[in-house]
Amino acid sequence: MKPAISAFRWIARTLIIVLLVILGSTVLVRFAPGYLSDAREMDSRYAVAARSELSAEAARSRSLPQMLLAEIKDPIRGEFGTSRQFAVPVSELIEPRLAVSGLLLARGIGLAWMIALCAALLSSAGRNPSMLRQAPATLLLAIPTAALATFCLLADCGGPVLVMALLLAARDFKFLDRALRAAWLEPHVLQARAQGVRTGRLLAAHILPSLAPQLGALASLSIVTSLSALVPVEVLFNVPGVGSLAWNAALNRDLPVLLAVMIVMALAVTCSGMATPYAAEWKQA
Amino acid sequence: MKLRRPILWLLLGLVVAASVILSMPGASSTRQDREATLAAASANHPAGTDALGRDRLARVAAAFLLSLAGAMVASALTTAAAAGVGTLAAFGRPSMGWGLMVVCDVFLALPWMFLLMMVRSALPLTTSPARSAAITFLVLAALGWPASARAVYRGAMQLRTSDWMLYARAAGLNSAGIVRHVIPNLLHLLLPQFLISIPAFVMAEANLGALGLGVGEPLPSWGGMLFELNNSPMLAETRWVYFPVILLVVVLLLLEGVAAEA
Repeated sequence: MKPAISAFRWIARTLIIVLLVILGSTVLVRFAPGYLSDAREMDSRYAVAARSELSAEAARSRSLPQMLLAEIKDPIRGEFGTSRQFAVPVSELIEPRLAVSGLLLARGIGLAWMIALCAALLSSAGRNPSMLRQAPATLLLAIPTAALATFCLLADCGGPVLVMALLLAARDFKFLDRALRAAWLEPHVLQARAQGVRTGRLLAAHILPSLAPQLGALASLSIVTSLSALVPVEVLFNVPGVGSLAWNAALNRDLPVLLAVMIVMALAVTCSGMATPYAAEWKQA
Repeated sequence: MKLRRPILWLLLGLVVAASVILSMPGASSTRQDREATLAAASANHPAGTDALGRDRLARVAAAFLLSLAGAMVASALTTAAAAGVGTLAAFGRPSMGWGLMVVCDVFLALPWMFLLMMVRSALPLTTSPARSAAITFLVLAALGWPASARAVYRGAMQLRTSDWMLYARAAGLNSAGIVRHVIPNLLHLLLPQFLISIPAFVMAEANLGALGLGVGEPLPSWGGMLFELNNSPMLAETRWVYFPVILLVVVLLLLEGVAAEA
C-alpha cells in the first residue's frame, strides 16, 4: 500500500507544480510590459500582419481567467498553441528538438559523472584535501558557460558534450570528493581496511551504498544544472535543440513556444527528483 | 588556510583601481574614437579599443563596478527575501509553511536560465540600457531566493524546536519578539547565502549578456564583452579581446574564494 500512496503523492505534487508553473508563467507573461509588442512591428513588410495578430492576442487576453483556462486546457489536450514566429504548432517544433537535447544531456551527464567519479576517487585517496587537486574544478566553476563554449569553439577542440561535461564534472567533483573523503573515514570502513578488505569490495559494498542518497540528490542537481547550461551551449555550438529554440523564441518574443518549453522543463526537473527517494531505499536495503 | 582577508583586500584594490580609471580625465566607457577602432594597447588606450573605438580598459572597469554593485544589491534582496520567507514558513501556521515551500518548489522546478529568458523577452523593445541593467539584476534577485529560503527554513525549524525557543514561547514571547531573537541566530546561514549569491549573479549576468539578453548597449557589461569573442576577424586583429574574460574569471575566483571562506 505504501508504494502506491507515495506514487500518488509524487504524481499529485508534480501535477500541482506543473499547474502552478503554467499559471505563474501565463500571469507573468500577460502582465509583462512588452507582452503586446512584436519585433516584426519595426519592419514595414511585416508590421501590418504583426499588429493584426497582436490585436487578436489583446482581445484573447482581455479576460485573465479565460486566458488561464485556455492555457491549462491546451497542454492537457497535448497542444501548446501556435508559434508566433514560425506559424506552426508548437508541439511540432518541440518534439524533434527534445530528442537532440535529450541526447546531448545524457552524453554530457554521463561523461561528467565518469570524470567526476574517477577524479574524486583518486583525490579522496590522498590524505588531505589538496588545493592543487581542487584547482581545476575551482577554475572551471569560475568560467561562465558561454566563455567556456566560446574558447572551445575558438580552439577548435571539444564540442557541446565536452563543455557540458566539464561544467558538470567540476561541480560534481567538489561534492563527491567531500562525500567520499568522509565515507573513507567511517569507523566500519577503517576497520575493514585494517582487516585487509580490498578497495573494490569496500567501494561496492560499503562506500557507494552509504552515499546512495547523496548520489541521488546529486543526480537531480546534475540534471537541473545541465538544463541551465543547455541554452548557451546549444546556441554557441548551433545545436538544434530545445535550448536554442527557447533562445530564438526569447529573442523573437514567441511566448507560446517559451511557455511550452517551461512546462517541459518543469516536468523534467520534477521527474529528476524521483532519483533521491529510490537511492535512499537502496541504502536501507 | 585563511585567505579571506587577502582576497578581500584584492577585491577592494580592484574596486579602487576601477574607480580611479573611470575618474581619470577623458576616461569614458561609451565615447567612440572612430580613428582607432580595434587598436592595440597604447598610451591613450592601455588595453586597446573595441570595434567601435571605445576604450577597453574603461569599459572593463565600468563593467566590473556595475556587475559587482548589481550583484551585491540583488544578493542583498535575495537574502532578505529568503530570511523573510524562511522564517515565516517555519514560525507561521503549518498551512502557510507548506504553501510557501510549494512556491519555492515551483521556482526550483524551473531552470533559472529559461525563467530569465522568459522574463527578459517579455520586456518592452524600448527599454533603456540603464533600465535593462536594473531589470536584469532585479530579475536575478526575484528568481534567486527559493534555494536560500529553503536553507533558512531548515535553520529556522531547528531554532523553533530548540529548548530556549520553547522556553521563550512558553513564557509568552510574542511574534515580534520571536523575529527579533530568531534573525540574529540565523546570521550564520544568511551571510554565506549572501556571499554565495554574488558570484552566481555575476556569472548569470555574463551568461545572459553573452546571449544578447542581458544589459543593453552601450552600457558596458561582462556579457556584452563576452559577445565580442564571437567575432573571429576581431580576434585575429587583437588579442586584447581576451582581457575582459580573463579579468572576469579572476573576479569570479576571488568572489568564490570569499564565499568559500565564509
